[in-house]
Amino acid sequence: MKKLLTIAALTASTFTAQAEVRINGFANLIGGITSSDESLYGYQDKISFSEESLFAIQVSGDINDKMTATGQIVARADNDYKAEFEWAYITYAANDNLSISAGRLRLPLFKYSASLDVGYSYHWVNAPKSVYDVPFNNIEGLRVDYSNYSGDWEYNLQFAAGNYYTETEEFSLEGEDVLAITAEAQNEGFKVRAVAGRNKSTFIVPALEPVFAGIEPFISAELLQDLRHKDSTGIFLGLGLEYDAYDWFISSEVTSIDSESSFLQEDIAYYVTAGMRLGKFTPSLTYEAKESDDTMKFADQVSQLPASLQGAIAVLGDVFADDEETLTLGLRYDMDTNVALKGDISKHSDNLNKSNDATLIRVGVNYVF
Amino acid sequence: MKIKTFSKNLTGIVIGCSISLFSLAEVVVIVHPSNDAALDEKAVQRIFLGKEKKFSNGKEVLPVNQVPSSGARSSFDTDTLGRSSTQIAAYWSKLVFTGKGIPPKELDNDAAVLAIVADNQNAIGYVDSASVSGAVKAISLN
Repeated sequence: MKKLLTIAALTASTFTAQAEVRINGFANLIGGITSSDESLYGYQDKISFSEESLFAIQVSGDINDKMTATGQIVARADNDYKAEFEWAYITYAANDNLSISAGRLRLPLFKYSASLDVGYSYHWVNAPKSVYDVPFNNIEGLRVDYSNYSGDWEYNLQFAAGNYYTETEEFSLEGEDVLAITAEAQNEGFKVRAVAGRNKSTFIVPALEPVFAGIEPFISAELLQDLRHKDSTGIFLGLGLEYDAYDWFISSEVTSIDSESSFLQEDIAYYVTAGMRLGKFTPSLTYEAKESDDTMKFADQVSQLPASLQGAIAVLGDVFADDEETLTLGLRYDMDTNVALKGDISKHSDNLNKSNDATLIRVGVNYVF
Repeated sequence: MKIKTFSKNLTGIVIGCSISLFSLAEVVVIVHPSNDAALDEKAVQRIFLGKEKKFSNGKEVLPVNQVPSSGARSSFDTDTLGRSSTQIAAYWSKLVFTGKGIPPKELDNDAAVLAIVADNQNAIGYVDSASVSGAVKAISLN
């Protein structure tokens, strides 16, 4: 009788799905230092823990059988550990394969977009910035997730739509009509992923306004419209491949971001990473690069202008142009099933400005609960 | 000197690994005796990785895991799921923090898993082959 009661209690306490509130959290404490007089990702030649560290709590509760509410509060070191609701959404699970989420949520641009802040989920100290460092990651809108399998292939499809707005000291960026479609398929250790997205964005950089004001009287309204990044249609494309044989793995992503009417050039970014799993240790090597298209945009019109104007327009294009590469040697050590220690060393080269070259050493602790 | 300490540590790690390798238990998957679903390794993997929520007979599935410190857990993760426990944890951290899944509940030991599985028609778990009792149905995956 007593045994039966214990079983009943255990069953009840373990499987009450209704009204259950789950609290999970994660933390990344990352410190970095560059070699003398250099700067990379905000780090300088004095050790700092305030560039990439973060603490987060996620609370999710079941509203009913089909609906779940999720909120994620993140405190980032580079935002003075101010706690903000980065995600807040409600998910409706139509069936085992299809779910719809609405609210503020992560836009599935990259392979690691969803778990980008959860350092424990990947082997790097942080995801390769050349690819992952985009001005916005979250949208206010909805996302549809579909997953299923056919034979040995597992696949999932995601569709997302919404808006975003982001502002920093240097710029403001507003996006409307964001649409993204993602398809991912996996067979054993092989995984392939493709994404296509578009939006209409307005990008304002106060520091560049004098340049626009200076050229405005001398160029056609049409060219000004082309250069101004206002309600500009942007296209995002991405492809990812991975092979994971457990003892070793290799993985890569390549992305392209292009805006139709904008002074910004098309950016192509990619990384290739490979590593080995030796017991609790995962050493890895990552090469990443980002390059802006260096052919002049709207060349037909611009080339007819006087040299001084051409120069001013070239300045606009150059401000955000990139041509850089980074090689990172990293090590992950699994301390426990919820704690990982990491360290890496990166050699960064900026082919447009050699004074930005830098060597960075980082150490980190990832924790999940 | 440093090299010496390092290689000493390395030997320690290697020995540690081989000891845990020998102490790994042989585990069997168990379900309720009335459960007539067809289960192979792939199906069990999908269930324990949250990719499949129903048995082949259409009934809801309720996987129960064991705590990471149990011997059965590391054998199950390595042999059946084909990943180390930390990798499985990393996999779940991805799903949990994207609202895409909730990992199976973790029970303390074989006895707790046996009790749940014997009691619940939807449950599926795993225990050391030596612990299997007549109250549950053991599944051979091969």
